[in-house]
Amino acid sequence: MPHLILVYLAAFLFCTGLLIVVIKRNAIMVLLGIELMFNAANLNLVAFNRINGPNLDGHIFALFVIIIAVCEAAVGLALILRIYRYYQSSTPDQFSELKG
Amino acid sequence: MCIALLAPLGGFLVTWLMPGQAVRLATGTMAISFLAALWLAITTWNTVTHVTLPWFTAGTEVLTLDFAIDNRSLLMLVVVSFISLMVHIYSAVYMRGDTGFARYYAMLGFFTFSMQGIVVTDNLLLLFVFWELVGFSSYALIGHWHTKRSAGAAATKAFLLNRIGDIGFLIGLMIVWRTQGTFTLTDALSFPITSGWQTAAALCLFGGVIGKSAQFPLFTWLPDAMEGPTPVSALIHAATMVAAGVFLLIKIFPLFTETALVVVAVTGMITSLIGALAAMSQYDLKRILAYSTMSQLGLMILALGMGVVDGAFLHLLTHAFFKACLFLAAGIVIHALAHAQQPHFDFDAQDVRNMGGLRKMLPTAFVAFLLGGASLAGIPFFSGFLSKEAMLVALFTHASALSWLMIVVVLSVSFLTVLYTYRMIALVFLGEPRTVKTINVHEVETGMRIPTLILAACSLWLIVSWNPFDFKGWMHHTGHAGPHELWLTIISVLWVFAALFLARMIFGKRTPETNSLLRNAFYIDTAYSALAEKFTQVNERVTSFTEQRIIDQTLHGIVYFQVIIAHITGWVDKHIVDGIVNGTVRVTGWTGRAARSIQGGNVQLYIFWAIFTIIIFIIWALN
Repeated sequence: MPHLILVYLAAFLFCTGLLIVVIKRNAIMVLLGIELMFNAANLNLVAFNRINGPNLDGHIFALFVIIIAVCEAAVGLALILRIYRYYQSSTPDQFSELKG
Repeated sequence: MCIALLAPLGGFLVTWLMPGQAVRLATGTMAISFLAALWLAITTWNTVTHVTLPWFTAGTEVLTLDFAIDNRSLLMLVVVSFISLMVHIYSAVYMRGDTGFARYYAMLGFFTFSMQGIVVTDNLLLLFVFWELVGFSSYALIGHWHTKRSAGAAATKAFLLNRIGDIGFLIGLMIVWRTQGTFTLTDALSFPITSGWQTAAALCLFGGVIGKSAQFPLFTWLPDAMEGPTPVSALIHAATMVAAGVFLLIKIFPLFTETALVVVAVTGMITSLIGALAAMSQYDLKRILAYSTMSQLGLMILALGMGVVDGAFLHLLTHAFFKACLFLAAGIVIHALAHAQQPHFDFDAQDVRNMGGLRKMLPTAFVAFLLGGASLAGIPFFSGFLSKEAMLVALFTHASALSWLMIVVVLSVSFLTVLYTYRMIALVFLGEPRTVKTINVHEVETGMRIPTLILAACSLWLIVSWNPFDFKGWMHHTGHAGPHELWLTIISVLWVFAALFLARMIFGKRTPETNSLLRNAFYIDTAYSALAEKFTQVNERVTSFTEQRIIDQTLHGIVYFQVIIAHITGWVDKHIVDGIVNGTVRVTGWTGRAARSIQGGNVQLYIFWAIFTIIIFIIWALN
């Protein structure tokens, strides 16, 4: 089904975002990865909307997700700023005080 | 009966407790015993009295003290107590001034008690008890002069050889118990036993007889036993103790099979020959008599081995009388000589080479020796002749190949008996005084003479029967010299006189040196001593070797082994046990580290694990 390819694409994007989050050494890149995951989720929503009928629930939901993503990005940046001030570095490897 | 048995025991006890009155007490109790025995004999002649008392219980078996008095036991009771009484009276003079006077009389009483016990008992185990008691009292009496080294050694030798014989007795006891289930003789002898066991039992019990009655090969104690006082020799080694063996043999005679009897006869034969040959060549007066006793006992055993029970028993009784008489008379001689030498003891009072011509100075002893010696030699008109006749006739009527050999042996032994008896009398009494010339010998007291003469009188033929040529009398019941055997009697009489004649020719004038082989009884005794010594040496060497090499080495080995074990244990403890502990620690640490790594401080790692787990959960949930 041609709509399913969107779902596959969304899955691919999501996995990539996850990969970026886990691998990248820069905290800002982690945020980028999270943004990518958001976009993947949005794409998924739109894809299912297209599959399942004439109402536009999926689109509306994606709008809300964008708004939330913006808020979250702001908060995230603020966090990174504070952490940078404390640790003098932006590498997540350095934030290991919770190490067991 | 109890009085006859226990009076001597009472004598022993009271003499022990009240040493001051020793003589009267002991002699008195012995007289009581004799009278009781006599009364018992008269009232229960020809009946058999049985008394059974419970003794002890071993498991389920109840053992009893059995006593059975038949004619033979009665005769023995009377004879034993009579001779013991004579010895008691005699010893009052002989042992006067001896330091162990009371002890001597006490042991005499004890001995008589034990001997009476053997005579009246019907139970093999009880008989063994008395047997041992007799052995013990003879040990005490032989070693009476315990300060003399030789006396102690002789007593020990007697006891040891007795004991060796008693090993056989014990084994025989065990066999009897096993096969018959009882020790009571009248019961035990009435069941048949399988032939092999019967022979074994008979021979083992005969082993005890060999030890007690000084048969070959356990005879070497008898000559040495002459270390004891002469009255002791008269009582024990002539009349009673050595006769105990023969008496036992008579009692258990039904037990003996053909083979066992042959063994018995051969033993008796060898013993009597050795004894007679040795007696020919002794220098010591008492030793002549000792070997003579051994020879006569051999004759009795020989007769028993050929089945001549009554004849042997008759000879036992007559021998008791005349041998005791001879010993007491010898004691007179020795005592007189020893007395006359005081205070310096220049020569051996027992050596016949020193004596001679004593017939003038000691007439009583001379008469006693003549009578007793004639009886021993088997001259007609004496009891010894009659008992020897009894044996010869019975042997003749037996008429087997072996009995012909035995007749030859008996005749040779009686020939030798005549020879050595004549030699003994000739050397001591006849001829001219030799060393005794230097001392003043005078006659001994009445106290010693009367018992001797009484016993000499008992050596006459009257004791056995009225007819001097017929041995069937109140002592001996079976058979008598019928017309077929009359010429045997005549031959034996002629034989005896021929021997006398020859003896007079040989020993009349000079004192020939004797053969040392015979004198030492074929060196059997020396052989035993050497053997015992060798054995002790070997024993010593073996035990010391064992001790040093084996035991000590074993100990060392054990110690080394201990140390090695300790080292191994240490190593195991250090490496293995601790290794396990360390290993566990390491594994735990590694596991912990591995588990901990999830909680590494890396934020991205947390995210990764969380997403991973969620994915797995989703996959699982959608499945």
